[in-house]
Amino acid sequence: MPEIFIDNKRYEFEQPGKVLQFMLDNGLDLPFFCYHPSLSIPANCRQCMVKAGMPVFDKVKGTFELDENGERVIRYFPKLMTACSLDLADGMVVHTHHSDELVKQAQADNLEFILINHPLDCPICDQAGECPLQILTYKYGPEGSRFEHKKVHKPKAIQLGPRVILDAERCINCTRCVRFTDEISKTHQLTIISRGDKNYPMTANGKVFDDPYSLNTVDICPVGALTSADFRFKARVWEMNQTPGIDISNGKGCSTWVWTRDNLVMRITPRFNEAVNDHWMPDSGRLSYRIFNENRISKPWIRPDEKEQVRTTWNNAELTLREELDKVKPPEILVIGSPHASVEDSYAYKAYFKSLGVADFYFLPHVIPGSGDDLLLSDDQAPNTRGIRALGYSEVAGDKLQKLVASGRPKLVFILNDDILDRSDLAPSHLEDAYTVYLGTNHNSTSRAADLVIPITTAVEHAASYINVDGRIQRTVPAKETLYTNRRLNLEMSMGRPDHYGTKFDNWVTDANRIDCIPAWEFITRLNSGSDTFVWESSRRILAEIGKKIPAFQGITYEQMDENNGIQLKLEQDSEVNTI
Amino acid sequence: MSETKSFNAKDLSEIEKLTAKYPEKQAAVLPVLWYAQDKFGHVDPSVQKLVAQTMDLPEALIYGVVTFYTQFYEKPMGKHVLDVCTCLSCQICGGYDILHYLEEKLGIKAGETTPDGKFSIQSVECLGACAYAPMLQVTNDKYVNHLTREKVDQLIEDLKAGKQPGFESNKMPQHENGSD
Repeated sequence: MPEIFIDNKRYEFEQPGKVLQFMLDNGLDLPFFCYHPSLSIPANCRQCMVKAGMPVFDKVKGTFELDENGERVIRYFPKLMTACSLDLADGMVVHTHHSDELVKQAQADNLEFILINHPLDCPICDQAGECPLQILTYKYGPEGSRFEHKKVHKPKAIQLGPRVILDAERCINCTRCVRFTDEISKTHQLTIISRGDKNYPMTANGKVFDDPYSLNTVDICPVGALTSADFRFKARVWEMNQTPGIDISNGKGCSTWVWTRDNLVMRITPRFNEAVNDHWMPDSGRLSYRIFNENRISKPWIRPDEKEQVRTTWNNAELTLREELDKVKPPEILVIGSPHASVEDSYAYKAYFKSLGVADFYFLPHVIPGSGDDLLLSDDQAPNTRGIRALGYSEVAGDKLQKLVASGRPKLVFILNDDILDRSDLAPSHLEDAYTVYLGTNHNSTSRAADLVIPITTAVEHAASYINVDGRIQRTVPAKETLYTNRRLNLEMSMGRPDHYGTKFDNWVTDANRIDCIPAWEFITRLNSGSDTFVWESSRRILAEIGKKIPAFQGITYEQMDENNGIQLKLEQDSEVNTI
Repeated sequence: MSETKSFNAKDLSEIEKLTAKYPEKQAAVLPVLWYAQDKFGHVDPSVQKLVAQTMDLPEALIYGVVTFYTQFYEKPMGKHVLDVCTCLSCQICGGYDILHYLEEKLGIKAGETTPDGKFSIQSVECLGACAYAPMLQVTNDKYVNHLTREKVDQLIEDLKAGKQPGFESNKMPQHENGSD
């Protein structure tokens, strides 16, 4: 097998590739700025320089030339090479800063150059704490600068587009953002303008950087030059907890990191998942973090006798619901599921009503034709449309749903977390004759029309799985505490520094950020208390039960999903959701 | 400036010819921009947009190219553009003196155009004529070398009279003794 010697250690490689990527794959460290595994390689930051050479091969003898010690004679390239663009070659010898003083010096000197016009504003820079320039300067940089002159000043706080702000002084011209718009989003909106020490990225004259993927440039920017207009100055990186999650604003289900502080979601960034979203995610998914914080339903709400909704206790909500259930026969119950609800919630919801004798389960698809693209946006706006199809919910169009409700047959209508009034011809007046129960996360037109509102957890508050438009099952991890969960007790939840070292009496802790809500499956378990069926302890148990009942889910566990970033399911109806 | 700029059929066929010379159309950006600058006298944003549309290339790319080169004018310039080199060699030999003399003489600053639209001055980086420092270039064309105040006065007079500077033979120092 071809071999390569890095810092006098032998490695074998199978695939052709570049030295830098090979080193990263093998857990070796080398500083770099402009290189990105998903973009082309311009080698313009010059930070990943290594000393590299090839053994001298004696063609006459057919052997490698050896020196007096019996070691191969190495002919080094005359200058240091950028590892990011250097092809792996059999027998190649590479020296990094660990074994070569020249490389070490070159890295420090290069950083000194990069930092010449870089403002020293880390204390007020949003990137601080997750800034490659800051980190690499700390690890590899010079101790100080010898540049005693005035730095070149460039424009600051330019609004490039609705979501991205540029600080030109901080830019080191790695061109990652330009390559992103050229190669990934293909909008070609950015370019580097001017030259020498005056250059920085910019849009064409009068053009707005309104790429639907523009915030990815903020992620890949190795300095604080591009920052998110929304997240700017909101939170420090080291104050936040980072929890893996998935994007629930879209059918694609991009893997995400959910960043929380004081139980508020501060931002959402993409998490690498080769099978779904690579390193990227659409802007709309990131900005959807608001639904986890704002306008949340906390505590059950009830409408006593056609009046305004008022808050009530869980006990009262439960008792009222039981009374209403006792009043009706199963055919009089209309059960509407949701493509926005998780697999576990939808399963528990359906299983419970099935046991009562309800035969039909409906859902209203949330598809906006033409809103998708061929990158990471799908027409389907819901995270779990394929999931609830697989669970046996049947799709119903808005006008048919209106007829079903308006027929007068249903006396009791259950709606699981979905604003169906907003998306169909249904009006609040259609629901007047029936007793309507809404299990939801946020206040909306449907919750306002309901007679009883049960608050349930969002994707960032429960562990639950969702099946994306491609039939891949992925799961979330609780990132935000509810009134009934606790980071210290739930080992799955992440603990940031303030959680480790703070107390719940610290003045920055806001109790109101913990929503009074429970997972839908838990509420159904409560409704069913007394019987010994459908008593689940966790969403894990529900998934295990689904695995026993539905062949496509057989053997699927959270651990498997965690290990492989989701699992591709073989679902029976493979028709594309988008086309329906 | 308000009238919309466009290429006529002859221009388009010329651009077609220029583009055909290269394996990729991106490579033809420079010659096409030269062509556009010859036609319109500058490549301001409206011209950049026209070039981008004509070549079916991103506007941002054209903008990046135009701003990279001082030879492309991002705004309408005077009839004669005097690019005074203020890079290292010329600077040492008095490049800034020449620049400031010109500024005073024409009553404008570097980067500006005289009100009569005759002259523009730019301070530019190295033009590759260090041996003849200090020097300037007239409208991306003729070099005027070994500048003195008198020579600048003469140049302005000539340009005003519609006379372009002629070719100056400059011997390299090692050839000055007549030994070829």
